[in-house]
This record gives sequence, structure tokens and C-alpha cells, in this order.
Amino acid sequence: MQSANMLLRKIVRSSVLPFAAQHGMKKDLFLLSRTLSLSLCLKQDKSCEPSGKLDLDEWKKVMKSGLQEGVSEVVSEPKEPSSLAAARETLEMWRLAGRAVPENISEEQLKTFMECPSKSAKKKYLKYLHLKELHKKNDKRKMHEKRERKLEAQDQASKTDETKKSSFICMWSSTMDKAYNWRAAQSMIFGQPLVFDMSYEKEMSVREVTNTVRQISLSESCNRRSVDPFHIHFCNFKDDSLYHREFIKQYREAWDKLLITVTDQCYTEIFPKDKLIYLTADSPKVMKTFDHDKIYIVGSMVDKSIKTGVSLARAKRLGLETAALPLDKYLLWSTGAKNLTLDQVMHILLTLKDTADWKKALEFVPKRKYCGFVNKPVKELKKTLDLINTLKLGKGRENVQKQLAKSYPKK
Amino acid sequence: VQPPEKPLQAEEWNKLRENFQSPEIFEEVMLNSMIRCNSPIDVAKSLLTHLAKRNGDIAYNVLVKYLTLCVQQGQVSEIRDVYDIMKVRFKILESGAYNLLIKGLSKSDQWRMALTLLEEVKKMMIPSRTCYESCIKAASRHQEMKLAFELYDEMLAKDVVPTLDVLQSFFDFSRGMKDAELQKELFGILLYLRENQIYPHKTFMRSIKLWFESIPGGKWSGHLTNIKDSGQCPVCNHQLEDSNLTEEEYSNLSEKIIRDVIHGTDTFRKTSPQEFEAFQTFVENRLPFDIVIDGLNVSHIKPRKMQCENLFDAVNCLAKENARLLVLGRKHMLINSSNWKREIMKEMQNKADFFFAENISEDDAFLLYATLRSGNHCKFVTRDFLRDHKACLPDSLTRHLFRKWQRGHQIAFSPSAEGRSFSSVFSQQPAFRYDCVVQTTGDTWHIPYKDVFEEKYSYQVPRKWLCIQQK
Repeated sequence: MQSANMLLRKIVRSSVLPFAAQHGMKKDLFLLSRTLSLSLCLKQDKSCEPSGKLDLDEWKKVMKSGLQEGVSEVVSEPKEPSSLAAARETLEMWRLAGRAVPENISEEQLKTFMECPSKSAKKKYLKYLHLKELHKKNDKRKMHEKRERKLEAQDQASKTDETKKSSFICMWSSTMDKAYNWRAAQSMIFGQPLVFDMSYEKEMSVREVTNTVRQISLSESCNRRSVDPFHIHFCNFKDDSLYHREFIKQYREAWDKLLITVTDQCYTEIFPKDKLIYLTADSPKVMKTFDHDKIYIVGSMVDKSIKTGVSLARAKRLGLETAALPLDKYLLWSTGAKNLTLDQVMHILLTLKDTADWKKALEFVPKRKYCGFVNKPVKELKKTLDLINTLKLGKGRENVQKQLAKSYPKK
Repeated sequence: VQPPEKPLQAEEWNKLRENFQSPEIFEEVMLNSMIRCNSPIDVAKSLLTHLAKRNGDIAYNVLVKYLTLCVQQGQVSEIRDVYDIMKVRFKILESGAYNLLIKGLSKSDQWRMALTLLEEVKKMMIPSRTCYESCIKAASRHQEMKLAFELYDEMLAKDVVPTLDVLQSFFDFSRGMKDAELQKELFGILLYLRENQIYPHKTFMRSIKLWFESIPGGKWSGHLTNIKDSGQCPVCNHQLEDSNLTEEEYSNLSEKIIRDVIHGTDTFRKTSPQEFEAFQTFVENRLPFDIVIDGLNVSHIKPRKMQCENLFDAVNCLAKENARLLVLGRKHMLINSSNWKREIMKEMQNKADFFFAENISEDDAFLLYATLRSGNHCKFVTRDFLRDHKACLPDSLTRHLFRKWQRGHQIAFSPSAEGRSFSSVFSQQPAFRYDCVVQTTGDTWHIPYKDVFEEKYSYQVPRKWLCIQQK
């Protein structure tokens, strides 16, 4: 902009503008015209003022003089219902004011925005869209850079022109996919069942359902890639539910080719009740070992507002056994809720199935949530911790925690 | 960055900008620090002029920042100029700019313009609370009380909650006016305080007192006082309202607690239908109780003591005068362990009724149910604030009812200094006999107030009162 201005000033000085204006070139110079006319009038202002003295209200003149053209600048936009258009305008003003608002917003998003029940909900939604937009932009930029690097590399390769000989056959991803699918198919016949309970749609917001589906697809993919996959069941799955729609969005055509069992039946109708164990963080029972004969159930629910006891209630209603992961037993918990994401649970279960090693399995718990892995029961540790705390009265609890973390490092 | 003290020339601004680490946000950062330091407005103007010269335009957010500075210093003509510029330059404005404009103009003699701006805002969105408040204050400052109250009513109708500050300004500016209509409106505000269980702070209380005493021919006089535990006002000997709920309120509350707290979305979340039914028949067969005790909560009062001993002390302490006790616990208390001795449990069961819930059930829900079923005289014992249960209630009105009921019926034990005899083992915080809320009989007003300006804890009730009576 600055350089453009410099250029403009030069033009002004060489007085092209009057010439251009006379010959009807103003339209071509349209974009520049506002600044042009400004600079002109500024120049005049300056000339009639003693140098060194500032006219403090000069900016007002500038702003007002820019107006006439500003008005003519208005481009007729594609017609939208007036309420939507008004909302769009408000958003634009918010963006100008420097709030977290996306640059582009679709009509559908705009409608969702207007349906938000409160001001803070609106703000939150806009921030979410804004961040999404930023991520998208960044990804695009990175992809672009990558492509350029690739082209460069190709250029160089073609210059050197060496044909590489490799003794390995190139393993294409499709070949890998075939191998994985073969394994998944086997698991569908011989594998240990793992149930995802899809009956939580009512408990969740739309975004939570989207997140759930995303987490399930991550779990499915890591299951497929494992040495000995589970036979995944989606139980209580209703056709044309929100889950279903989201899955189709996520998988597209692959949805019908997934090597999993999808059913609208409840797990209690498919499996014997005494074999079922419902995994829930609220369970009073703690899982000791992974049982290869049992069928574990995972609730497909992302619970951002911490609704305690929802999945426990479901298990209670059906009279099923429940279990919680022994997080407190093995980990010195620091922050965060004990409910883990679905893909984390899947990783943990797969590792347990293969190795029966709690330490290895619980590596998949996010590191920020715990201070360290312990071999002694945490209860005993807590006692010493409390003792230290009472001895060091006045010193913060965090201090002790830090020390403890040192003596029980994460790895 | 430190803003300069005098207006700068374009070259000087350029120099400053180049030395700044990220020049693209230089203007914003500079204006922010000007707002912080309350720099002279001319300095900001010189920056704007420099900007306008360089870019031929000034961004909206920069204008808003400048506007903030103008409002901060009450530069009315500048505010108007900025508004004129903004109005032609942009089709509409956003809420931030409107807030500032209204705030700035309402304090000047052009306050009526703030009102027109408010109308403009209303076309697009619900105006913010600050918008309303500036306008209300402006109107009442100019003795246009009717207008102020219109705005106030409109604000309430839109679910915008007013601050105590605005309510106070009504009392401040109506002082000495003789106007029946106005008087009614101000009484309305006092009733608003009552309905929402809001307690005025000391300065607000003083405004109320002064207003009452200033009513020409009203013959009101106010006194500060403390209410006796019996609920009698020492100044006018008037008996304050009972803390008991009315029959309708009571049945309303118990119905909602059963529906929303115990059952909620799923009865299985807190208990199970079988268990709840068993509990219901258990309670119905033994009604009514005088005191319901949260056994597990009470058993943790003194951490050094065995848990069943704590409970034993509490039961003994309360089991006077043939009071019918119900202790709620969980099944694990029945298993002989280091904390729960079977003999002591047996002995207690002779003195009180016990109900043991499943270990994974929530006993608090049962506590509420048993107390409510027993009737208005029944109290309950726990140190728990029961906030999570209150949060399950659907609307603020029921939550207020709940809190009122809780104030009147909850006995909280706390461990006192070491002592052998029962009386000194626990100090009992009694339930209030009178209701702590703004109240009137027509010729008297009793208004509880907070001693300090700061917020008190929501479970605390003020002990100081303003007594106003008409002679």
C-alpha cells in the first residue's frame, strides 16, 4: 500500500491526474482515485499552511472526502433474505472491529449463527468458525509450499537424471489396505467383539456428535491397522440418525464397505448378558485385567459438559457389569477429567489385548493429565504426600507434586 | 510503547512506526496505550491525521479506539464528529461502537441523542446492559423519571439484568419528589429486590433510607438495626416474615425436587426405580420425621475420630425431646470395618431410623425427599451446600425457593474446640426462623443489607437491617 502511495504521489506531482480526469480515465483509475483526490487536496492544504504546524482535524476532512466515492463503490450483492443480509453486515462490522469472526460465511452457517440462543453462544460459534477458517488457510498454504518443494525436487532429479534401482518392491498403500482389510475380515469371523453403544444422540449437541463420529473413525482406523483387531459392533444404531449422517459425511462411499457390524439391535440382544462389561469412568469397579472372553462396551459419547453418570445409568438399567480403567491406581493424576476420548480408549484396549501391560497401555492417556506412572498403589503415595504436606505447612501442594513427579518420571 | 506527550508530525510517526517491532499493528498498540495513559486527545488526532494521509482511510477498529479515548475524556464534540464520520462511512455500526457512543453522549447535555442511538441499536439487536444503564442514568439525572422507568421496564422485559448501580440511581435522583406514580415505581424496585433475593450494599441502603425520609409529608423514618434471633425488629417491634414456605410454594418445591433432582433425565443416574420405591415406602411408613441426617457427611466432621463415633455423637446430640430422627447412609456402613463398628451401629439404630442406600446411589437426593415429605417443621443436617442439587432445578424462581427453604431448614454442624460433653462437641448453626428478604407491611419496610460493597458468598445472609416505619 505504501509503495502504491508513493507511486501515486509521484503521479500526482507530475500531474497526470488532471489530464486523466479530463480524458475520462478516472474510471480506469477507480481503485486509486480516492487516494488520488485526497493527496491532491492534502497537497493544497499543506501549501496554504505554514509548515511545521499540524492541522489536527485534517483526518476528518479526509474521511469525509473519501465518502462520495465510497458511496458509489457499493456493489450490489446477490440477493439474500433481509434478516440474513443484516446479520452478514453485523458480522462484517464485528470483523472490522477486530473480533474473532470468519471472513467468509455460508448461508447455512449464518442461519446456525442466528439460531444461537444467546450472545455468548453466538460469540462461541463465530470463534469456532474463525479458527476453522484459519486452520484451513494454513493447511492450504502448507500444501502449496509442499507442492512447490516437490516440483523443485523433481526439477533437480530430472537434471541429474538417475534411475534408482531398488531391491524392494514398492509397497503401495492400496496393497497395505488389502492386507489390513484381510485382517479386519478375519476379525469379523474370529475376533473378539467390541461394542460401541450408539444410543447417546439425545444427550449430545450437534457438535458433540460430530466429534464423536470423528473419534470413532479414528478408533476404527487404528483398530484396522492393529495386529489383532477387534470385531467392532455399532449397536443401537438408528438409520438416518445424526450419527448416521455424520458417518456418511466422514466416510462417504467407504461407509458401506467398512468391515464392522452395524445394527439397530441392543448389545443385550446379541450377546449373553453375563459376558458384557460396560466401560464407564463413573463405575465403582476398577478393571484389573483385560479379559479375552468378555465383550467390552464403550459409550459413543463426547461429553463436554460433564454429565456424570449417564452411561453408568444405562448399564444399571440393563443390569450389566461395569468397569472403569484403573487410572488412579497406576497414574498420579493431576488435571483433567477421567473420561478419555474414544480413540484413546481403543488404543488402550488394543494394547492391553496384545500385551496385558498396563504401563504400556496407559501411555495413551494424554501426558498433560497425569504427573507420572506409579507401581505402588497411589493410595499409599497419597498418604506420604499428605504427610509431606502437613510437614511443609505453607508450602504449596504443587511443590510436592513437582517433587513427586521427579521421583516418578513419566517414562 | 509509551505514547508521545505532544502531537507529532508525519515523519516523526513514521520513525516511531519503523522502530516498532511489528509495524502493521503499530496504530492499534499505540492507541491502546494512549487509552491506558489517558493521553491528550490531540496526540491521538495527530496519529489519525498521519494515518489518513498515508492510507487515505482509517480502519474501523482504529476509529473505535479513538472513540474510546474521546468517551474516556468526555469530549462530546469529538464524539459527535466521529459518529458523523462513522455513520456515512459504514452502513451500520456494531455493538462496541454503539456502547461507546451512548455512554459518551449520555453524560453530556446532548443526552437525548443517546436515546435516539438506543432506538437505532434496538432495530438490530438487544441493546447491552450498559447501553440501557447509560440512558437510564442520563434520563434520571435530568429528572425525567418517567422516561427512565420506561427504559427500565423495557430492559426487564428483554431479560437484561440491571446492576445495583442503576437501581440506586433511581433512588438518588427521585429524592424529595412528591409523585405517587414515582413512589409506586420505586416500591416496585424494592419488590424486584425481594423477588430476586438481592441484598443492597451499604451505600445503596443509604440512598433508599434518604429517599424514604425525603418524601414530602411521608413521615418515614429509617433506623439501622440487627434483628433478634426470634425475628423481631428491635426498633419497631415488628415480627419479620416467617422463613417457612407457603403451602403452595412448599408443594411446588417438593414436586420439582422429586421430578428434576431425583429423577432428572434418568432415574438410574442417581438411584434406581426399585431403590427409590423401596425408600418411598420406607419413608411413608414412618412419617413424619423431625430431623433427617446425612450420615456420611456428619461422620466426617472430625477427621481424627472414628467415623461411626462422629455419627454417634451427632445422633446423641440431636436425639433429645423425643425427636424422630432418620439417618441416611450407604450399605457399606453396615459392614464391620475399622471405621464402622457393628456394636455402635446397632446402638444407634435403637435411637433413630436408618436407611441404607446402595453404595453407588446418591444419598443427598433421599435426604431432600425425606425432609420434604415430613413437612414444614422437619429439618435436615448436613454440611453440604447442596449446590449440585440446586443446579438441577429448572428455573431461578424454584432455585430461590430452594435456597429459602434450605436457609430455614438446614442445620450445619461444625466441630468446635476439644471437649468431652456433647454440648461442646458440636456447635450448631441454627436454621433461621425469619426470612431474610426485603419485606413490607405497607407502613413498615425491612431491608437487609450487605455491610461491605463486595459480594458475599451466596449462601451467606446479611445480618444487618434497615428498618423504615411511617409515623
